[in-house]
Amino acid sequence: MTESHAIEAKSLKVHFQTSAGLVRAVDGVDLAIPKGAFHGIVGESGCGKTTLARAIVGLQSATEGQVTILGRDRADWARADRKGFARSVQFIFQDPLGSMSRRQTVGQTLEEPLLIHGLGNAAARKARLAELLDLVALPATVLDRLPRSLSGGQRQRVSIARALALNPQVLICDEPLSALDVSVRAQIVNLFARLQAQLGLTIVIVAHDLAIVREVCSSVTVMYLGRVAEQGGTRPLFADPAHPYSQALLSAVPSPDPRIEAVRPRILLEGDPPSPRNPPPGCRFSSRCPLVEAQCRVLEPDLRRVQHGGLAACHLAHAQSHAVI
Amino acid sequence: MTAPVYSVEDLVIDLYTPSVSVRAVDGASFQVRPGETLAIVGESGSGKTVMTLGPLGLLPEGVAVDLKGLARADGRDLLRLSPGDLSALRGGFFGVIFQDPMSALNPMLKIGPQLARQAQLYAGLSAEAARREAVSLLARSGIPDPEDRYDRYPHELSGGMLQRAMIALALAARPRVLIADEPTTALDATVQAQILALIRQIQQEDGIAVVLITHDIGAVSVLADRVIVLYAGQIAEEGTAIDVLTAPAHPYTRGLLASVPDFRSEIASGTREIPGIPPNQAQLMPGCRFAERCDRVQPACHSHRPRLQTITRGEVPHRVACPVIIAAEGIATHD
Amino acid sequence: MMKNWPWLILTPAILFVLIGLFAPVLMTHDAAKQDYTAILQGPSLEHYLGTDYLGRDMFSRIIGGARTSLVAMSVVLVAALVIGVVIGSFAGYVGGRTELVLISIIDIALALPSLVIALALIGVFSGPAWVWMSDYWKMIIALTLAWWANYARMSRAVVVAELQQPYIEAARVMGASHLWIFTRHILPHVLGLVVVYASADAGALVLAIATLSFLGLGVAPPVPEWGQMLVDGMSYIEEFPSLVIIPGLALTAVVVSFNLLGEAFALQKVPRAVRGGFLARKKAARVAEEAARAATEARA
Repeated sequence: MTESHAIEAKSLKVHFQTSAGLVRAVDGVDLAIPKGAFHGIVGESGCGKTTLARAIVGLQSATEGQVTILGRDRADWARADRKGFARSVQFIFQDPLGSMSRRQTVGQTLEEPLLIHGLGNAAARKARLAELLDLVALPATVLDRLPRSLSGGQRQRVSIARALALNPQVLICDEPLSALDVSVRAQIVNLFARLQAQLGLTIVIVAHDLAIVREVCSSVTVMYLGRVAEQGGTRPLFADPAHPYSQALLSAVPSPDPRIEAVRPRILLEGDPPSPRNPPPGCRFSSRCPLVEAQCRVLEPDLRRVQHGGLAACHLAHAQSHAVI
Repeated sequence: MTAPVYSVEDLVIDLYTPSVSVRAVDGASFQVRPGETLAIVGESGSGKTVMTLGPLGLLPEGVAVDLKGLARADGRDLLRLSPGDLSALRGGFFGVIFQDPMSALNPMLKIGPQLARQAQLYAGLSAEAARREAVSLLARSGIPDPEDRYDRYPHELSGGMLQRAMIALALAARPRVLIADEPTTALDATVQAQILALIRQIQQEDGIAVVLITHDIGAVSVLADRVIVLYAGQIAEEGTAIDVLTAPAHPYTRGLLASVPDFRSEIASGTREIPGIPPNQAQLMPGCRFAERCDRVQPACHSHRPRLQTITRGEVPHRVACPVIIAAEGIATHD
Repeated sequence: MMKNWPWLILTPAILFVLIGLFAPVLMTHDAAKQDYTAILQGPSLEHYLGTDYLGRDMFSRIIGGARTSLVAMSVVLVAALVIGVVIGSFAGYVGGRTELVLISIIDIALALPSLVIALALIGVFSGPAWVWMSDYWKMIIALTLAWWANYARMSRAVVVAELQQPYIEAARVMGASHLWIFTRHILPHVLGLVVVYASADAGALVLAIATLSFLGLGVAPPVPEWGQMLVDGMSYIEEFPSLVIIPGLALTAVVVSFNLLGEAFALQKVPRAVRGGFLARKKAARVAEEAARAATEARA
């Protein structure tokens, strides 16, 4: 448990009981995100990436395991210093509109965290609001408007500004781009990149757009069915993925150049991801893996060091070589 | 070149909601030929869906519509057909795949019989033949164990399987034109790749025309032969997929492509952004609709509506509606 | 046409509130003062609506009755609202077993007609342990206990719905306390809805007060009250029907008016929405008209 890690999760499990049975949304995740990282969590629906992000900030309680944030146990934060935690770690929701009260103007929305924490007098708060708007490149005219009257991009800027109001060190974002139009997405991505450089934030972004993750993230975690499939620096991992699932996932993303697309070999997986209610025994990817071996169906692989310097949970991958679909 | 199976000329579509009137499509023309995939690309609100499905009478509910121009399919003028004839054409001549499979499938009926009924109604098959056809359609759509799935209800299938079942349903009437409206938007990456591959395979086997409505450049790159880029109800650029995606001329297309990085390229392109937001189509200015956000804007752009000009004549001409780029880059025009 | 109706039907309700508020100024006579020299008189300049069998001024009694009803109704409404909102919100916010128990109580209270509950409670209060309490207060307490459950159920529903909104989670992430979230975010929604519905309930309450008084279980003479005026007038209904008609009309107008107000709320939620909906529809009609005209021109 080193101070240099912003977030550390150890065998974290988040299960919930539903009418259809126990959902193992996050089922034994180890994660260490260093301070100042821009970390991406990718994977398909049901892989537990959103649950993991929510568990980190405590919106979901962990069934088992431990989350350490800025060197302090999350449970300890929650018990002893809930407000201090809010000042250190903030969360950005997928749907910016839903995450704001429809009765409050942008000004009231941005002021709320300052009021909750009793920061500054009216004049200081007003100055802080202007600062925040400046940070996310919004004009002062939005202060009197209701969230509903803003465009999607502006709403997400407001929600980012609100998260920054308390000067957090860590920002966790749950698919902050998926509600936005393509051309606006790039604006918000660039905003995140600029904020990270400007404020020295640690940013964790849950995303399904791999191209954007590759563009801005320094490191990445690939999840499959509640577990980490692979982890590492974005560039080396994307260039040489060691886990067959990462290979398939990356291969599934089409190139915007039709000339490349016409000749590029593509990996097509069979079927849909299994339900997190009853994951297959052994390696979770074994039911769809084209390279599956007998041991994969019985023995769950641990994360181990692979060629690109990161970690992968595959029996067929180790430091010297890995299987390629 | 074969004759188009579905074509639209100078289409203008006005939508009236209780509070606003919107010119959703403003003088757009396109045609699609058998065996060809035409992609219509635009952001939400660009009018891509209204332009393609509007002439078929498939429009958002609770909105008053006024369509002007010409829309032809099967040798008939769609805008002058009676609702009954239009509905028959929609069922048989066109097959439509939506983003949400549940908008096409009846949740109360088993999957197989829904397909068989469609085949009976529009392809004129007997009950027995229709059943066989339905099973083979399920199999063709990549649904494992089709005999078993025939008797399943929609809620018993996973998202990817439902998408396949809807494609099977769209194919049951043996359509000549398959319209896919954001067919992969709601799906996961690996399932997206499967569905795109399936549409491509069907198109190659049956030689039908496919119109792909999407904002996903990747899907365009996989499937499309030809691309139309729509911005705020007007065509900004059109041409072959290779021309438009690798040598875009319109500043909007360039911006759009630059905002979609290619993670396979060795050098990080640095995601470029288009400033601002799409215009409010209830209060449009007279000139180029992209002028407000354009980095190449000239004073004339605000007053003169740009015309589509041909910049490359090939079998499929590459056309662009931006005189500024054409003049600035010394591009020769052919009309 | 629709522009006028809400105001027109609301007139009796508005008049009722205004008259009730300014009753002391408006009353020409002491409503309780008997004058045996002038019993059962017709309308005159001295007595605008005549006098009753004890020579009391009918005009002043109607106005005094409005005040009595208004005061009793307001007290009951406010008390029932406070109890309902507190219990309902608490149930919704806390959840779990507490919510289950409270909901059962609310459901039982809702299963019986309010007036039946009120009558039963007044029956209980008539016991010897309660002699220290006046009939008036017995009625107020009985009606409050009969009325709160409605607002409790509504409050709980709003709280449960609001708690599921993502912005509540957002507030939690910002470090907001439960008290902050409840008072800043949830209570305004609860009150917004419950107060609107309560204002529409006023008619039913006025009627309930009149009914209890009519049965001799509510406001005691000589305080002017419409239900009681009806009882008093009954004996003279053949010769002097105005003694029944006047309070009857006042009661009917107020109750109908409040009920229509409730109907309007139920249909449109809030008056602003009534107006907005109307304007939107008018605009839509105009737009459609223009579209049609444009279409005909294009064809020509």
